[in-house]
Amino acid sequence: MTLLEIGQWLNDTEIGVTVRESVYAFPIIEGAHLIGLALSLGLILFVDLRLTGYFLREVPVASILHALRRWLLLGFALTLSTGVVLFLAEATKLIFLPVFWLKVSLIFFAGINALWFELKWGRRVGNWHQLTVLPTGVRFAGWASLLLWFGVLSCGRLIPYLGAGL
Amino acid sequence: MSVFSVFDQLQNSDISTAISRQDHLFGAGAQLLHISGLILVLSSILIVSLRLLGLGLVQVPLPRLVKATGKFIWLGLALLAISGVVIFLPAADHYYPNPVFWLKFGLLAFAIVLHLTWYRRVTRQESVKPLIARGTAALLLTTWFGIAYAARFIGFY
Repeated sequence: MTLLEIGQWLNDTEIGVTVRESVYAFPIIEGAHLIGLALSLGLILFVDLRLTGYFLREVPVASILHALRRWLLLGFALTLSTGVVLFLAEATKLIFLPVFWLKVSLIFFAGINALWFELKWGRRVGNWHQLTVLPTGVRFAGWASLLLWFGVLSCGRLIPYLGAGL
Repeated sequence: MSVFSVFDQLQNSDISTAISRQDHLFGAGAQLLHISGLILVLSSILIVSLRLLGLGLVQVPLPRLVKATGKFIWLGLALLAISGVVIFLPAADHYYPNPVFWLKFGLLAFAIVLHLTWYRRVTRQESVKPLIARGTAALLLTTWFGIAYAARFIGFY
């Protein structure tokens, strides 16, 4: 199966066709994707700002992670599900767009970074969270997350501009 | 002078023409700043609202949390305003007849007034009466997220 065939198959899925052909479905789902971003990227931004030392330094990282984690995960669920639907509606265009694949790769690396942070630091947050200046590894994970998610956001916003000619 | 003629003059101003002459990626850059500013504002409002609803960061005193998020709200609003002018000027005539555009700015005017009055008063207190806290959070979330949703619709209308 070639890439084009895969794209066409995804494009022709029932949900892809419905969203593409409806006047309102596209902006409604786009709006939900945007709100998902405010929850997912928005809240992870504040976790990263805490890790890098720019937000509520006197509050233990564990408390911030604990308070925001479920809203953040809810946001990612909303962003990802609406993202998949938006992708299906334009699969044949997106599948050939380098900036789309760059976005997907950056999401993958941001995920790896978050997983690494969770396994290495998140599980034993009690050992280091009292420190005023956090361990270098923790701050590094915060900066990496900030940069990677900003990259994801940039790629996402550029898609309609770089994909217009397709 | 009618509102439309003001919009028309804005669209034909020198600065507007200068923006129009830029590459389309200049427009994309403005859009990226706009969405970055929006995420800063929405997530800050969300964090304060969760605190008001008792659903997150309850151990942080409300005035402290409001002070910590405040600078990000103003940074976000500044990014939104600057990029917003760049997005608006070259297409002012096009936005004028769009009802969603006016809905967005109506909501925005309300949100700013709310922020400078009621929001300030309520969030100065260490403990807010539950009913007032919940009402304020509901009002904040509907207004700010409503602005974002309306904004997303402008281009499709």
